[in-house]
Amino acid sequence: MKWITRERPKIDRIACPWLIKKFVDKDAEFIYVPFNEVTAKAKELNAIPFDVPDVELTHYNEQCTFDAIINKYKIDDAAVNIMAVIVRGADTDRHDIGAESSGLWAISAGLAHNNTNDQELLAKGMMIYDALYSWAKYHYKEKHTQNPFEKLLLEVYHTYIKQEKTTKKIPAWVKELKEIMQDQIDTAISLKEISKDLDINAAYLSREFSKYFDNLTFGEYIRKQRIEKAIELLNNADYTLTEIAYLTGFSDQSHFTRIFKKHTGKNPSAFKKSLHKK
Amino acid sequence: MFAQNSFIMKWITRERPKIDRIACPWLIKNFVDANAVFIYVLKEQVFDKAKELDAIPYDIAGAEYTHEGERCTFDYIIKKHNLRDAALLQIAEIVRGADTDSFHLAPQAAGLWAISAGLSYNYKDDHEMLEIGMKLYDALYSWAKYVQQEKHIWNPVL
Repeated sequence: MKWITRERPKIDRIACPWLIKKFVDKDAEFIYVPFNEVTAKAKELNAIPFDVPDVELTHYNEQCTFDAIINKYKIDDAAVNIMAVIVRGADTDRHDIGAESSGLWAISAGLAHNNTNDQELLAKGMMIYDALYSWAKYHYKEKHTQNPFEKLLLEVYHTYIKQEKTTKKIPAWVKELKEIMQDQIDTAISLKEISKDLDINAAYLSREFSKYFDNLTFGEYIRKQRIEKAIELLNNADYTLTEIAYLTGFSDQSHFTRIFKKHTGKNPSAFKKSLHKK
Repeated sequence: MFAQNSFIMKWITRERPKIDRIACPWLIKNFVDANAVFIYVLKEQVFDKAKELDAIPYDIAGAEYTHEGERCTFDYIIKKHNLRDAALLQIAEIVRGADTDSFHLAPQAAGLWAISAGLSYNYKDDHEMLEIGMKLYDALYSWAKYVQQEKHIWNPVL
């Protein structure tokens, strides 16, 4: 079968041919023509037009043509589903929805700049999508989260992403996230790990975080929470400083002492003495 | 007295490259030595073969050209050869992010890692991988230098 679309492809018009060849029609042939010739040439060549307005296989709302092909041909493949989000993010300039979208966009835009022949570009693009597919199938989430806090955070963020589409008010996840962070303050938490597991661009996540947490970065906020928890525990004479350091997620007592002093101006032991004198 | 190939700089590193051992050859070829030749061998043979072939070992512990703190070999080459190209410095962040598992360093790092890991899975021949990788970094460089301000929105009518 012949398939036809607009010339000078970058993302969707490369990703779709890859998808069609791999899952729909392995002998497919792809034709790129100027935009205003697509309809006429499609008729003349008996080709299926795609990724142009007013045809069946095109963008719908926030979905791109890659999504439309998955739906129409009922492609049920976990790796393709992972790719779909990345392609959609790169194709619709929503790099926040797929952590890999920015990189795919940069490489695709650069390839298009370097290859002005559409068929040559398609050949190189096929290698890129073959690579993404292997990664999604064999490498994706090689690192699984071991930390229950991260799993919870992941769920909260996914809820947030869904909510974001309908409301721009302060999302419910902020309150929920605060509670979770208070509960899990004694575990090692890193934004880098979380963002990877969330599949959210780390830069985006860290930017969004401070919007809702007193203009603090993730690290600053966690440290503040830990110090507050430590002060609370110091009120209780039953805990040793070693125990408090452990309970507030510091790697050792000297690290705890250093950070505590930086924030409160006092050593934990001096602070404790002043509390119990009262 | 000199065989012609004694003028050709050889660079040697561990086999099965993914990020740094592809990005560095691209950097060397484009900004340091256009005639450079790249050799991949088993990890435990790198230093022996380097002596035997009079090649420069890189991206391996114990070599001059290798990781330095949080910086990868790509960074070291930039520093050593005083490269100042702005697009190159931007690529360095992306490469470092992808190579050192620090995707927060640059938004493009996660995508570069995914595509590189997939290419490495699909191409088991190191030189085939290098050839494709060269095009990948050519693309990243063109993006950084010429097209990165562009936004991609779906507007077929233009």
